[in-house]
Amino acid sequence: MTAANIGADVAVERRAQRLSILALNKSFGPVHVVKDLTIDVAPGEFLVLLGPSGCGKTTALRMIAGLEVADSGRVILGDTDVTEALPKYRDVAMVFQSYALYPHKTVAENIGFPLKVRGVPLEQRSAAVRDAAAQVHMEEYLERYPRQLSGGQRQRVALARAIIRRPSVFLMDEPLSNLDAKLRGYMRAELKHMQHELGVTTVYVTHDQVEAMTLAHRVAIMDQGVLQQIGKPREVYDNPANLFVAGFMGSPSMNFIDGRVENGRFESDGVSLPLLNGAPAGPVVMGFRPEDATVVDPGMGQFDAKVFTAELTGDVTLVTIVIGDKSLAVKMPKEYEVDFDSAVAVSLPLQNAFLFDAHTGNRLPAQFALPPGQ
Amino acid sequence: MTTDDLTQIPSRPTGIARLFEAPQMGKMSPAGCVIVYSLLFIWTGFVLFPLYWIAITSVKLPIDVNSGPAYLPWIDFTPNLHAWRDLVVLEWAETLKPYRNSVIIAFFSTIACMFIGSMAAYALARIEYKPKFGTILMFVLLMAAASVSVGVWGVDWRLASASAAAIFVLLARALGRRFKRSVGNSDILFWMISQRILPPVVTVVPVYMMFQSVRLLDTQFAIILTYTVVNLPIVVWLMYDFFSGIPKDLEESAQLDGASQFTIFYEIVLPLARTGLAATTLLVMIFAWNEYIVALFLSTTKAQTMPILVAAMNAGEKGVLWWKMSVVIIIMIIPVVLMALVLQRFISRGVLLGAVKG
Amino acid sequence: MPAVIMILIFSIFPLIASLILSLSRVRLRAGGYDVRFVGLRNFEKQLFGSEQFHFLGTFTSISLLGWVFIIAMGALLIRWFSVYLRGPVVVIGLIGRIITASMILALSVLLAATLLSGNQFGTLGVTLFYVLVGSAIQFLIGLGLAIICAQPIWGRTFFRVVFFLPMMITPIGIGYAFRMMADTTKGPFSPVWQFFGLRDFAWAADAWTARSFIVIGDSWQWIPFIFVVLLAALENVPRDMIEAGHVDGANGWQIFKEITWPSIAPVAATVMLIRAIEAFKLVDLPNIMTAGGPGISTESMTLQAFFAWRAPDLAQSAAVSYLLLFIAVVLCVSFFNLVILKRRAAIA
Ligand SMILES: Nc1ncnc2c1ncn2[C@@H]1O[C@H](COP(=O)(O)OP(=O)(O)OP(=O)(O)O)[C@@H](O)[C@H]1O
Ligand SMILES: [Mg+2]
Repeated sequence: MTAANIGADVAVERRAQRLSILALNKSFGPVHVVKDLTIDVAPGEFLVLLGPSGCGKTTALRMIAGLEVADSGRVILGDTDVTEALPKYRDVAMVFQSYALYPHKTVAENIGFPLKVRGVPLEQRSAAVRDAAAQVHMEEYLERYPRQLSGGQRQRVALARAIIRRPSVFLMDEPLSNLDAKLRGYMRAELKHMQHELGVTTVYVTHDQVEAMTLAHRVAIMDQGVLQQIGKPREVYDNPANLFVAGFMGSPSMNFIDGRVENGRFESDGVSLPLLNGAPAGPVVMGFRPEDATVVDPGMGQFDAKVFTAELTGDVTLVTIVIGDKSLAVKMPKEYEVDFDSAVAVSLPLQNAFLFDAHTGNRLPAQFALPPGQ
Repeated sequence: MTTDDLTQIPSRPTGIARLFEAPQMGKMSPAGCVIVYSLLFIWTGFVLFPLYWIAITSVKLPIDVNSGPAYLPWIDFTPNLHAWRDLVVLEWAETLKPYRNSVIIAFFSTIACMFIGSMAAYALARIEYKPKFGTILMFVLLMAAASVSVGVWGVDWRLASASAAAIFVLLARALGRRFKRSVGNSDILFWMISQRILPPVVTVVPVYMMFQSVRLLDTQFAIILTYTVVNLPIVVWLMYDFFSGIPKDLEESAQLDGASQFTIFYEIVLPLARTGLAATTLLVMIFAWNEYIVALFLSTTKAQTMPILVAAMNAGEKGVLWWKMSVVIIIMIIPVVLMALVLQRFISRGVLLGAVKG
Repeated sequence: MPAVIMILIFSIFPLIASLILSLSRVRLRAGGYDVRFVGLRNFEKQLFGSEQFHFLGTFTSISLLGWVFIIAMGALLIRWFSVYLRGPVVVIGLIGRIITASMILALSVLLAATLLSGNQFGTLGVTLFYVLVGSAIQFLIGLGLAIICAQPIWGRTFFRVVFFLPMMITPIGIGYAFRMMADTTKGPFSPVWQFFGLRDFAWAADAWTARSFIVIGDSWQWIPFIFVVLLAALENVPRDMIEAGHVDGANGWQIFKEITWPSIAPVAATVMLIRAIEAFKLVDLPNIMTAGGPGISTESMTLQAFFAWRAPDLAQSAAVSYLLLFIAVVLCVSFFNLVILKRRAAIA
C-alpha cells in the first residue's frame, strides 16, 4: 500500500500538502542521530513517528521544521524543495516538546502570536484565539500567564498556538505527554477529529504506542536513528518486520524465547515446536503476543510452565509464567483465577507466533507447523 | 475560518532582500555577515588601540613621547626599556610597596566580602526575615545620637557606642512589640543596593574621621574594612539571585538524606552557585583593585595602593611621566587578567553576572 | 546577619555624620577640627548663594525654547498622572509619583533655564549629562555588541575576551590614557587634527568637546560591563522560545521585539540602574582629563565635592554630596519602582 492511496480516504482540503523527506542524515559531533530517514507523507495523512526515548524523533521533526539543517538529504513540501528554507517559509506549525510558550505573554497573546506576526487585525485575531482556545478547553485561562498554568494546561496552550493557523503541515512533538489519562484520551479523540476536519498533513511524535495505534493513519517506527518499519497500525502490529518493532508495539510487550532451529524444529529448553517450511538451522528468537496465548491445564498445551504471579489489571488478568529462567506474560479473561506456583501449560495458536533471526533481528519467513485441529 | 486567507506563507525574498536574509537556520545573511564583522573589527580596534598606545608608550623615550605621535616600534621610534628598568629594577622597592599593598588589600577585602556577603545572601534567599520597623528606626536614631555626641560634644566614641548598644538591647523588645509593622526580604535587598548610590565622597569624609579617631588611618586594615563594606551590597545582590535560582528541592532532598545544614551549604549550594561566585569574585576584585578615591583619602604613605601610584606619576614637577605611568598600568592589568583567566573556567558560557535578572 | 549590621553601621554612620557635617561649619585646627552647627546655611549657599553658579549654573531669563521644553515636559507629566489616576491608586504609589514628577519637573526647568537659554551649566547639569547621555549611549552600543556576539559568529570567544578588557583597567589609568590619546599635538590622532586644520585647537578648551571626550572615555570603560551582562542575558533566553517564533513565522525584528527583548528587559533595566548609580559617582575621568575644566564645564558633582574636600571645606563637600545623594536616590528609586519592579513582575 502506497502513501498516496492512504491519504485518499481522508477528507483532503485544498491546503493539504504532500511532505516527503528523502535520506535525511544528521549528526551531532560524532553521534549519528538520524540515519538515512526516508518517509513519504500523503496530503492530509496523520503520520505518527514512534520510537523509544533518544532515538532521534525530535531531531527528525526539527529538520522538517527547518530548525535543524540536515547534513544530507532533502525535505520536499508540496512541490517545493524546502531543504534549505528558513522555518517561516515552510508554513509549518509546531508543538514543541517543551511547549516553548512565551512567559511574558498571556495565554491569549501566546495563542494569537502566529497571527499577530502575519499582521492579522486584532478583532479577527481575538475571534480566532477564542476558537482555538475552545478547541483545547482553555477558554477560562485566556488572561493568565504561562507560569500560572499547570503542565497540562501549558501543553494545551502550545497546541492551540499551532492549530490557530492553517499550516500546510502540523508537527507535534509529544503534545499530550503531560495530560492526565482522562484528558489525554479526550484530547486524542479531539485531535484526531480536528485533523480529519482540517485535513492538514500531520507528523506526530510520541513514544506512547497506544497513542500511535489510535491516532495514526500510518506509523513510522524508529530506533537509534533508523527507520524500522512504516505502515498502518494494524499492519505494524500484526506483521512486525523485526524484533525491535515486535517488542516495541503492544503492551505488555511480545514474549520472546531464545532458541535454535534444529532438524526443522524450534528448540529451546522446555519448548520444542515443529516448523513447517525449513528455516535454516541457527540461533533464532520465537515470539508471541500475550493476548494470543492461553493458560491451560498441564499437558494440554504446547509447553509446560509454572505460574509466577497473576494480576488483575482491570479488563484482563495478566498471568506471568516461568519456563526455566524465562518469564512470559499471558493475558487471560478477568474471571480467570489461578494459584501461584501451580503447574500449567501454554496453548498457543501457532499462526500467531513469529520467528526472528537472533543475529540480525529480522523476521524469518518460517512458519510453524500447525498441530492437527488448529 | 476567515483567518485562512490571511495566513498565507510569505514568499521567499528575492533580489536585494536576499542579501539580508539568512540562507538557513543558524547562519547569517551575506549582508549581515559583512556588517557584523566590520562592526566587530571596528570595536576591537576601539578597545585595543588605547591599550596598544599604553604598551608602546611604556617603551618610548621621553623624547619620542614629546616629539609627536610615533606609532610603530622599530619604525617610528626605537623601543627602549628605560621606564621598565626604572620602575622594575631601580625603584623596585618603591613600586613593590604599593603593589604589595594592593594585592593584600584586594585579596583580603575580596575574601571577606565574598564570605560575609554570600552567607548573608544565602540567608536572605532562604529565610524570611521580618525585622520590626520600630527596631530599625530606633537603631538608626541611636546611631545618630551616638555620632552626634561623639562628633559635636566630643564624647569618647567607646563610651557613646557602648551606651547606645546598651540602650538598644534594653529597648529593642519593648519597641518591637509596640510597632508591629515589619519590612520583608525584598526591602532589605533594595536597601542594600541603595547603599551603592552613596557617592564615595559622602561616605569617605566621615569614614576618614572615624578612622582618624581610632588612629587607623593609613593602614591596610582600614582600607580592607572599607572596601569590604562598600562592595558587600554588590555581593549580596548578585549572590542572592544565584542562590534563589537553585531549586529548593535539591536542598530538601539532601535534608531528607540526612545532611547537616553545613554539609548542604558546602556540598550542594556552593558548587551550584560556582558560576555566580566566580563572576562576583572577579567583579569585586576588580573594584577593589582599581579603587582610587577611598584609597586616596585613607592612605598617605604606608598603605598606598597602585591607583595612587598611577596618579603620582602625574604629580611630579616634570609633568606627566607618560612612559612610567604606562608601565604601572600594564603591571596593574597583569594580575587581573591572570585572575580572569583562572576564573574564566568557572564562568562558562559567559554567564558573568548572568543572574542580574531577578 | 553580620553583613546587614555591618553595612548598617558603615552606611548609616557616615550618612549621619555627613548630614551633621553638611549642617555645620567645620574648621580644621592643629590635631583636629571644630564643628559648629549652622543649620541649612551650606545648602542655601549651593542652591541660592555664592555657589549657585557652580552647582546649578547661571541664570538669565528663560528663552522661548526653554519655555517650550518646560511646557512639553509638564504636559508629559500631566498625561502620565492622568493615565495613572485612571487605574487603581495606592497612597504610597501616588506620593512616590508626585515626588518623582516634581524632581523631573525641577530638573527640566533647570535644563531649560541654563542650557536651552544659552547659559552656563552647573555641576548638576554636567552630572546629569554624564548619567543620561553617557548611559544611553553605552546602553545602545553595549546592547548592539551583545546582540552581534550572540550570533553564530566565528571567533566569539576572542571578541568576548577583548571586549571585556577595558573593565580591568583602573579608571584613573583610563583617564590618563585618554588624555594621552586626545592630545592634539602628541597623541596618535594629531595627524587627523592637523588634516582638519585644527592643530592649535584644544578640545579641552571647549565645553562640549571636553564633555564628549569624557563620555567617550567613560564609555570605553563601561560598555564592557553592559555588554557582558546583556550577552549573558541574551544567551539565557531559552532557545526553543526563539525557535517557536521562527516556526510561527516571525521575522528577525519581530522575534527581537516580541520575544528576546521582553525576556532580557529586566536584566537590561537592572544593569542600567547599576550603570546610572556608578555614573552619578563619576569623578576620576573629569578630574584627570580636564580637572573639571574649561572653567567648571566638565565638573561633576562628585568632583565638586572632591575639590571642596581638598580646599579643605568639609562642610560644603558634605552638602554637595548630600544634594547628589538626594537627587540620585529619588531618580534611582523612581527607576527601580516604576521600571524594574514592573519588568520583573512581567516575567518572574
Ligand atoms: N543539540 C544536540 N547536541 C548533541 N546531541 C544531541 C542534540 N540534540 C539531540 N541530541 C542527541 O540526539 C539523540 C536524539 O535526540 P532526540 O531529541 O531527537 O530524541 P527523541 O527521540 O526526541 O527522544 P525523546 O522521546 O526523549 O524526546 C539523543 O541521543 C540526544 O542526546
Ligand atoms: Mg523528543
